Amino acid sequence: MTIGLGRLVCGSLLASAGFVGAVSACELKIGVPAVLSGPAAQWGIALRGATEFVAKETMEEKRLVINGVACTVSVKSIDSKYSAEGAASATSALAAEGIKVIIGPVGSPEVTGFKPVATRNRMVAMVNSFAKNSIGPEWPTVFHIGPGPSGWAAPIIDVGLQRYKFKTAAIVAPNDQGGTDIASVNADIFKQRGVTVTEEYYQRGTTNFAPIVTRIMASNAEALDLASSPAGDAGIIVKQIRQAGFTGPIFRLGGPGTDEIARVAGGLDILKDFLWYEPVYMDDNMRALEQKYEKLMGSVRPENSDFFRWTFAARMMIKAIQAAGTIDNAEKIAAAMRTLPVEDEHIGKGYWIGQKFFGINQEMSYPFAIGVIQGGVKQPLIRAEAVSEK
Amino acid sequence: MESFIATGLIGISLGTQYTLLALGFTLIFGILGVVNFAHGGFYVMGGYVAYYCNVILGLPYPVAVLMAMLSMAALGWLFEAFILERVIEDHQATLMVTMGFYLVMATAILMIFGAESPQFPFPVTGVWRLGGIYFPYANMIVLGACLAAIVFVYWLVYRTNIGRGMRAMSEDLPVASALGMRTKALFPFAFALATGLAGGTGALVTPILALAPHVGDSVLAFSFLTVILGGLGSVTGATCAAFIVGLIEAYAAVYLGGSKGALTLFALVLIILVVRPQGLLGREVRRS
Repeated sequence: MTIGLGRLVCGSLLASAGFVGAVSACELKIGVPAVLSGPAAQWGIALRGATEFVAKETMEEKRLVINGVACTVSVKSIDSKYSAEGAASATSALAAEGIKVIIGPVGSPEVTGFKPVATRNRMVAMVNSFAKNSIGPEWPTVFHIGPGPSGWAAPIIDVGLQRYKFKTAAIVAPNDQGGTDIASVNADIFKQRGVTVTEEYYQRGTTNFAPIVTRIMASNAEALDLASSPAGDAGIIVKQIRQAGFTGPIFRLGGPGTDEIARVAGGLDILKDFLWYEPVYMDDNMRALEQKYEKLMGSVRPENSDFFRWTFAARMMIKAIQAAGTIDNAEKIAAAMRTLPVEDEHIGKGYWIGQKFFGINQEMSYPFAIGVIQGGVKQPLIRAEAVSEK
Repeated sequence: MESFIATGLIGISLGTQYTLLALGFTLIFGILGVVNFAHGGFYVMGGYVAYYCNVILGLPYPVAVLMAMLSMAALGWLFEAFILERVIEDHQATLMVTMGFYLVMATAILMIFGAESPQFPFPVTGVWRLGGIYFPYANMIVLGACLAAIVFVYWLVYRTNIGRGMRAMSEDLPVASALGMRTKALFPFAFALATGLAGGTGALVTPILALAPHVGDSVLAFSFLTVILGGLGSVTGATCAAFIVGLIEAYAAVYLGGSKGALTLFALVLIILVVRPQGLLGREVRRS
């Protein structure tokens, strides 16, 4: 009888300890389907680096406290290979681990493959992609880290038109959704400004662009837009088109990656006259963020400046989780996110937009910058205000 | 007309590069009976070895190319002698082993050099122009080097005892072995020759295009396509097919559009293979 009672007491104590442990454990696992191989790898490295930084920052500064317990945050990254099937497969693998919070993926094909799997597995996500259907009412728990060219291509083209004279332009992009959606938006904006446009598409995986360059030269284009061609591809195109004798300005109205484009092309002299979308205007606040990264992570931040947008997005997700008070209920986290103002300690205030373009107000919009290289010399960035729908 | 000539130059440039890659690929299949899925890996690694020697160590570019060829030949020799030789009789195993080796090489490059492209410029810049026709000097040099390498391979295969031995083994392995051909020496040699060519091509071509860990994927695809079209195991077939592929790719891309270039190429290859399943100059039955 005594032994039986002792066992009962011990069992109860152990069970209680286990229960307390279960209550106190708060372990947020963030899934990151990121392109980590191929010519677009630089974008995925920025995404992964930013998410790992925010995870560490959250723990160090106890930014996520649920039921009085500071949560641990870990990141699980899988290579989504810049393809729909790669992203779907990566997301399925993350779902199999019970992960509900996702930062990424980057590209339009990836986001197309990602959304159905994420919706089926009730995940909440912050995605990139410049596709026309990156987000939408069909995917209420999917948020967008920032506008695509529909938001910022016009001011960049205007700066180009002020500095250079051109009436014709060629746009070159991959022949999948990651290219065609962006190229068509850019083409419309060029046309609105009286520029005649030809669109050239290539198969992803192309390594020699000489035939496409010959076509562009034959079209007598006076300006070129690399649209969303991955940085590696864009660098070869620039190198080959300058060799072919093209002297006009080159726009990069797609994702950032100018440093890698310059490296592949052979330097700033080859880029010569080049304009691009830069996700942030580098000021003291951004430099403070870079220093914080270096201090926390022990290395310099990922080279691609999309790192900043992913940092703001991951922080926003952490804030939403904190506001929702749950780490695994996607609907609650999404609902909490919608009520939060778009604001980050480093870049400042922004807006929720997206209703006009996507039919859902789930796109973050922050100030951005326009990068210019003129005569092979990098010019100071031009600050542009956040796009607003008001 | 100028555009037509310029496109022809692009096609010939592509053709010579594909020839070098396809020659190695077809040598390995013709002699060893192995489809080498690691071929693209040797191309990329050759590029990285040349980059390391030229940019990091500061060696002259020609020395860097030579180092790339020799190191890839050595790696190919070791791979054949110590790994592939053990499973050479099992076709499925050779596929898996070469594919696995490619993944190992690609991952090693990724770990050592990272996923982003390094700056690896060709030492000679400038472009030759005649009206609307242009041809970068770098491409001319690469074209010349590739042609020299092709001539060397032909000389080796058709004019030397080693070449005769390799061709004999390709024709009939048991008889060649019975007549004293040493497979233990000639198999690794053939493999090293092929991988050395791939490494050299990578060292020559990546500075004029781009160097990145993934560029071997498309190299493998085009090498495979070229060799299938030329006839598996046929050196002359591979050479003819490489130029056909290069010219079709260039003309189709220029006159039909970048997207349709690859489509046209694959459609034509499909038709040729339906009409002539053994390829342009391939044998109907592989005896060795």
